[in-house]
Amino acid sequence: MQLVLSWPVRLLIIGLLLFSLFVDGAGYWYRIANHYPLTGNVAGLPPNFGGWQLYFHKGLDLAGGTHIDYQLTNFPVGQSRADVQQKTITVIAKRVNSLGVSEPEIRGAGTNNDRITVDLAGVTADQAQKVIGAVNKLVYTRWVPDAKVTAGPEAGYKPEFTGLTGDDISSATAVIDQSGIGWVVNIQFSSHGADLFSNLTTANVAACPGDPNTSVSANCAQRHLTIWLDLTQHDIDNWEDQTYVSKVSQNYDTGCLATATPTTVCPKLLVDAVTLQAITGGNAVISGGGASGFTQQAAQDLATGITAGSLPVDLQVLSVQQVGSTLGAESVKLSIAAGLLGLSIVVLFMIIYYRVPGFLASLALLFYAGVVFATFKVVPVTLTLAGITGFILSVGMAVDANVLIFERFKEEVRAGRTIPAAVDAAVRRAWPAIWNSNVSTIFTSLILAGVGPNAVKGFAITLLIGVLASLISSIIVTHNLLAIVMAGGRLRRPFLMGVDRVRST
Amino acid sequence: MLSTEPSEAEEDEEELEEEPAEAPTTQMRAVVPEIETPPTPPRVRKIDFVSKRNWYFLFSLLIIIPGIFFMAHSGFKLGIDFAGGTEFTVNFPSRPSQAQVEAAVASENAGGSVISTGNGGYIIRTLPLTPALQRGFEDDIRSKVGPYDLQQVLEVGGTIAGETIRLALFSVFLAAIVILGLLTFWFRNVPGGWRAGFQFGGSALAALLHDVFLLTGVFAILGTGLNLRIGEINSLFVTAVLTVVGFSVHDTIVVFDRIRENLRVSQRLSFEQVVNISIMQTLVRSIITSFTVVLVLVAILVSGGDTLKGFALALLIGIVSGTYSSIFNAAPLLVVWRRLQPLR
Repeated sequence: MQLVLSWPVRLLIIGLLLFSLFVDGAGYWYRIANHYPLTGNVAGLPPNFGGWQLYFHKGLDLAGGTHIDYQLTNFPVGQSRADVQQKTITVIAKRVNSLGVSEPEIRGAGTNNDRITVDLAGVTADQAQKVIGAVNKLVYTRWVPDAKVTAGPEAGYKPEFTGLTGDDISSATAVIDQSGIGWVVNIQFSSHGADLFSNLTTANVAACPGDPNTSVSANCAQRHLTIWLDLTQHDIDNWEDQTYVSKVSQNYDTGCLATATPTTVCPKLLVDAVTLQAITGGNAVISGGGASGFTQQAAQDLATGITAGSLPVDLQVLSVQQVGSTLGAESVKLSIAAGLLGLSIVVLFMIIYYRVPGFLASLALLFYAGVVFATFKVVPVTLTLAGITGFILSVGMAVDANVLIFERFKEEVRAGRTIPAAVDAAVRRAWPAIWNSNVSTIFTSLILAGVGPNAVKGFAITLLIGVLASLISSIIVTHNLLAIVMAGGRLRRPFLMGVDRVRST
Repeated sequence: MLSTEPSEAEEDEEELEEEPAEAPTTQMRAVVPEIETPPTPPRVRKIDFVSKRNWYFLFSLLIIIPGIFFMAHSGFKLGIDFAGGTEFTVNFPSRPSQAQVEAAVASENAGGSVISTGNGGYIIRTLPLTPALQRGFEDDIRSKVGPYDLQQVLEVGGTIAGETIRLALFSVFLAAIVILGLLTFWFRNVPGGWRAGFQFGGSALAALLHDVFLLTGVFAILGTGLNLRIGEINSLFVTAVLTVVGFSVHDTIVVFDRIRENLRVSQRLSFEQVVNISIMQTLVRSIITSFTVVLVLVAILVSGGDTLKGFALALLIGIVSGTYSSIFNAAPLLVVWRRLQPLR
């Protein structure tokens, strides 16, 4: 046990203490000074280490919001399930973006890569399901003459389905163009799509030959291919209605599409592009035209629109949990109250029962709480009600090691050792029990965090952090504080040490 | 005798040379320098734990057997996240009577049940409703009973329960094996070697299973026997059971470690006596630790939110049971096992 009292270890502890104080306190100091809200994510707010925001990440049951478990069915054959799951997550993430949720959490789950869980703070289940579950069908149209059309991208023409849809697109990505200045979107078609696209573009070019960049006559409406989301035959039938068309022909809005009733008219246009040449290889590039082309944002938005158009799988809702924000706030209050109550009960009890050692253990307990909170912020651990209960429980565990040592200390004093010798013997002899019992708890929580049910994992991680921190606090901190008090001599009196009888001092 | 730290063992061996009865000689050694002084064994009030072991086993069985009966006979009362369905937690500021709410729900024909949580708060459970049906249901209730504040909606298809329970059972199984292995390894250096270690590990495992069965059994009784809502099992309950697994072993190891220490330093005492002394020496610690945790849990149980009450109760039962089983089951079981399979 000499190692524990050595200066390197002490310095390590002091460092840990300072770090915890900084993580726990600095953020609030800055927030108060600059009138920011005291909790939650504030973009760009220091302390910010490499993009880390140091604050408590509240789970849905505390923050209010919606949790949905989806089952993925109808996997496309011949693709790895993990890839498909990842792709679905990307699509969902893009759709969710339109809701403006801060920190949406979308994770893969299930032993067979066949589940996805979505956590959205501050959104009702209704909104979330509409946006995520929306089936935005992407369609390509060509243009056919219709003299009565007065508005839309091509006056005098109305769109016609080409049979090319989102199912025929295997990927769409935003990249920097060859000149290295502007951004373009690369589209890759499946083999079926490539054939269709090749036929369409060949017909396009034949409609009015020439270079559309230099000759106005080569840029006729029939040479355009247009991408829409959810364009229906009903829309095309209404193409002669000017107000209808100007509405539909605006840039698409997934939010509107998701929440539309049969009578709403939503913007559905993704992009209207002229075909430069016949494209036969199945790889198309959409560029912005003009001198500068797309901005990065515009190219990414377009690529997103194209891929988000289709989910690779069917989503089936397994479970939905919606927590109102008032209930969440109530739960936070209750759990903080319970935590403070628990902590003060333990501190009071330790001081009354064990006197000076109990007081030192309480100090160690505060150190413990500080380190655990800092770890929660840094990792970051998403705090749920169960997680907070796990923390409150681990306070009990943190005290346990001290109780073991102090009870042993009393025994050693009763057995006739002097107080300093008894302290030493107590720590040395209680150590195996402390170590073994905590290691077994560490193993159990590792198992739970690794293979346990999803609902238990977060809890297991808080428990694990708690146990590790309690080992440090109870063994190293308490022992060091005790050693300092022992060296002082003044506090060594039996009454203060909580023992009634001692041979000699 | 096997020992990893022979020097310390030698020193300790002297301590128990003059075992309990001759305690009063203590004062005589007051002037001897500390290092050479073999401290006398602690004077603990004598309670004979081990000889009454059959009573403790009986007491445990009195709870566990009815619990298993209820589990096998009627199973558990399932919370919404296991049973499947839609659950609305709502609060009517107008404080309608339960009958009013029930009538409105019944007219919806969605297989509903209504639970009052007091002060106009109700929990309404129905068959699984799609989002569209859910909206219709909510609109109807609003128009029939009055406006309400929607606190929580849970909708479960019902396939998660199977997976959660399967994973939970697997984790308990894995944890049991790891714990058996760890204890066998740690306690291989007590007299008797690996086989003794296995006895320690096996007894701890038995205490662990005792706690799991007792907790699940009590909840089966509360849920289906007494039909109380607090006895519902859900994923939080599973969390509680898995936590109790960790705590139970924690407690048992503290007692077992003391047994090992006392075994090493004393060969004059019978195994039973050693176990008994060890229980008494760790008794205060066991009680104090459990007591602090119990106090905290009672605080949550009394003041905590509705969702946490069942969780807190499960932890409470599990932790009391864990402490009980480590003192009254695990250690006495070790004695029984030693008798059946003597090692020294």
